[in-house]
Amino acid sequence: MIGAVDLSAEDRTEGEPLVRLVDSDVHAQPMPATLMPYLSVDARRYLERYGRRTHNDMHAYPRARGAGTRLDAWPAQPGAPPGGDPELLRSQLLDEWGVDYAVLQVLNALDCYDPADIAVELPRAINDWLTQAWLEFDDRLRAAIVVPHEYAHLAVREIERRAPDPRFVAVLMPANAQELLGSERYWPIYEAASAHRLPIMFHTGGFIRNLGAGPPSYYIASHVNTSPAMQTQLVSMVASGLFQALTNVRIVVTECGVSWVTALRWAMDSAWELMGPDHPRLERRPSEYIHDHVWFTTQPVEEPAEPQHLLYAIEQAQLADRLLFATDYPHWDFDSPTQALPRAMDAKLRAAIMHGNALELFGLRPVRSQPSPLATP
Amino acid sequence: MKVVVAPEHSFASGTRRIVTVAGRSIGVFRMGDRFYGVRNRCPHQGGPLCLGRVLGDAVAEVPGAAEVSESVLLLACPWHGWEYDLETGQSFMGGTEPGVRSYGVGLEPGGVLSAELHAARTERVPGPYLAETFDVFVEDQYVVLET
Amino acid sequence: MDVLLPYLSDYWRQYLEGAMIGLHGLIDAYPPGAPTSASERARSFPAPAVPSGYPALRERVLDEADAELIVLNCLTALEAHRNPYYAAALATAVNDWVRDEFLSRDERLRASIALSIAVPDDAVAEIERRADDPRWVQVLLPVRSELPWGHPSHHAIFAAAERHGLAIGLHAWGRPGQAPTPNGFTSTYFEDYLANQAVAQSQLVSLVCEGVFERYPDLRVVLIECGFAWLAPLLWRFDKDWKGIWREVPWVKQLPSEYVYRHVRATTGPAHLPREPRAIRQLLETIDVGRLLAYASDYPHDHGGGLPRLLSELDNERRDAVLTTNAAALYNRARPDRSPDRDGVSAP
Repeated sequence: MIGAVDLSAEDRTEGEPLVRLVDSDVHAQPMPATLMPYLSVDARRYLERYGRRTHNDMHAYPRARGAGTRLDAWPAQPGAPPGGDPELLRSQLLDEWGVDYAVLQVLNALDCYDPADIAVELPRAINDWLTQAWLEFDDRLRAAIVVPHEYAHLAVREIERRAPDPRFVAVLMPANAQELLGSERYWPIYEAASAHRLPIMFHTGGFIRNLGAGPPSYYIASHVNTSPAMQTQLVSMVASGLFQALTNVRIVVTECGVSWVTALRWAMDSAWELMGPDHPRLERRPSEYIHDHVWFTTQPVEEPAEPQHLLYAIEQAQLADRLLFATDYPHWDFDSPTQALPRAMDAKLRAAIMHGNALELFGLRPVRSQPSPLATP
Repeated sequence: MKVVVAPEHSFASGTRRIVTVAGRSIGVFRMGDRFYGVRNRCPHQGGPLCLGRVLGDAVAEVPGAAEVSESVLLLACPWHGWEYDLETGQSFMGGTEPGVRSYGVGLEPGGVLSAELHAARTERVPGPYLAETFDVFVEDQYVVLET
Repeated sequence: MDVLLPYLSDYWRQYLEGAMIGLHGLIDAYPPGAPTSASERARSFPAPAVPSGYPALRERVLDEADAELIVLNCLTALEAHRNPYYAAALATAVNDWVRDEFLSRDERLRASIALSIAVPDDAVAEIERRADDPRWVQVLLPVRSELPWGHPSHHAIFAAAERHGLAIGLHAWGRPGQAPTPNGFTSTYFEDYLANQAVAQSQLVSLVCEGVFERYPDLRVVLIECGFAWLAPLLWRFDKDWKGIWREVPWVKQLPSEYVYRHVRATTGPAHLPREPRAIRQLLETIDVGRLLAYASDYPHDHGGGLPRLLSELDNERRDAVLTTNAAALYNRARPDRSPDRDGVSAP
């Protein structure tokens, strides 16, 4: 059951349906040639000759099946990848599940290691494509602004360019970058996003060095490791004083699961009790910073043998008003809107997770201006 | 209820058909001379199970020495990849969780298939997830599904 | 350093003295002034906080300890110098010193074998050198590594340890030249301190994925000073991923959580736990501490007061397991039955 948020009478026009489902992590995937028309001649030539000199680890870790996708999400059109056909995404995700809003994250530039001239063009091309091929296509679609994050001043420019379009509801950053995410080199991006009330979504992937314990040998290991990797990134952000300096910044940990937050908060708070006074950028208890500034998409939601244990983790980490439901369509670890969360979850919490928290975070209208073609019960 | 799926000669080995019977979507598979029927709904999160790949088992006595074994055919859900014995619907995802739900397993001529036998065939521990399976056989040169 | 010099050859003595190498036992990990490096009580004694001889150990720890057995970990060799031959010579010297200074003086003492892992043959040789002495109970490795510990290049060490009934101890910190997080170097001690638990999680994933526990079914691994409250969510994630991706690692024949509960233990520190008893009780529903934990004083380190809060929520049987029997089973050197567990019950 997907419950609905209570609204006062003023918030809706007669007959407008209430929003019941916001999907905070959906992937649109351009075909190889799709972005070329949006690029300059020089950029196109460079890419055709040399490709992207990137350092993501997708070649080292082949995704388990279908290049990491749901096998039933491949469009009929030859060469089109899952997430490459707006019609299929509309029917297979939006219509089939009654999604009221979906936030599109295009991951092609997540590993930004391009030279500046390419780095400035590729995200711009992606955002242009998103606007024309997707945001114009279905009014349920929203998007995260893709930015050249290793060049903060260029990223700020791209944010300024897109922010006036209310369909861009967030700024996309990777979970792995050239420096730890608390580094001040990225703060101008966070500042610009926050100035426009745009949350910053840190999505699994990016430029992955695999230090610490060293590079794993298998995709399954790298997939599980996204959780401890994000833990170190949250520590970095807290320790850097980011949340102290940018008091209106809001971030979204995206596609890393949720239940690990509990023990991390305990560990950070314990460490703060032991050594906090020596760290001037840690004025407050770390768990307070986390609660005030950090949201989490649910997918891939952990499925303990005893579902109640997930509810413990949510309660202990104060996540009731911080979780955002996500399917991660069309990836293989897709979470079903009706099956992924424990049945024992109470209706109020479920409603918050399925739409309430996202409506508030992304500033979305709690009613649809048009009914969805097919709303599932 | 018996439902005719297709003439036997037109149903090639290694292919499958998805049929709807009384509102339920069911996948019918032919592998060699044997037929299988599986509910097109993964017990995990409800994905379209019968659109997934059918593969033999993968076994490895030591790390790295991986081989394919045809001792069992496993149907993998196209979503999360959870796998089920095509014949019995049994999953082998380890654990000894209580509350295994058992559906009626279609009887084959010659005996009842049990989870233990399948464990012996695959050396895996039967898991709690069970896909619903159906009897499929040839009658008067037609492939028939019994629900 | 002076105490080690007699155990080194002339060449390595000159190498040490010439370069003025100070052996401080991981000063990056435990800077003397950091609150976590030494408890108040440890600081009440003359520096250094880490006992550097038997008299100091006896005065500061043994005389007060209500313990039948105490396992000593000397962390000096965890610095993992790049010169593989120096590293090997240092490890041998450390072990010789621990044997003479401590093990030979007190029957309650046991110790972990320091190793150089730069050249696996050297590591195995050092294990073989110590194996016949029953007072060595564990092989000590840093939790931080350049290739995860499950990688096949490390397997010779596990083989030797399993052969001789030695536990593998993965201790917090180590390898100071190596970035502690997947994405790079940290700048504050706060971040570096908290990185150990994340590294430990990745190491567990590696050990299971690489089939270490299939290949070495009697092997026991101990996470030392890496915490434990993070374990349940990791296993939920890992078990779920295995169900979908097991084909990539078909030698992993069971749920990852089953391997972990059967083969892995964690020491009780740091016990980074909430204060509310209800929260601790909920945690205890999600991890079986009666199987998982082995008590460690971690002297002289201080990670706060979480452990008493945990112990107070345990019934007598589980408390005894944590304080006594789990460690006894772990370090008894006897080749255990196939299942080092007490009762073979599967993971919660």
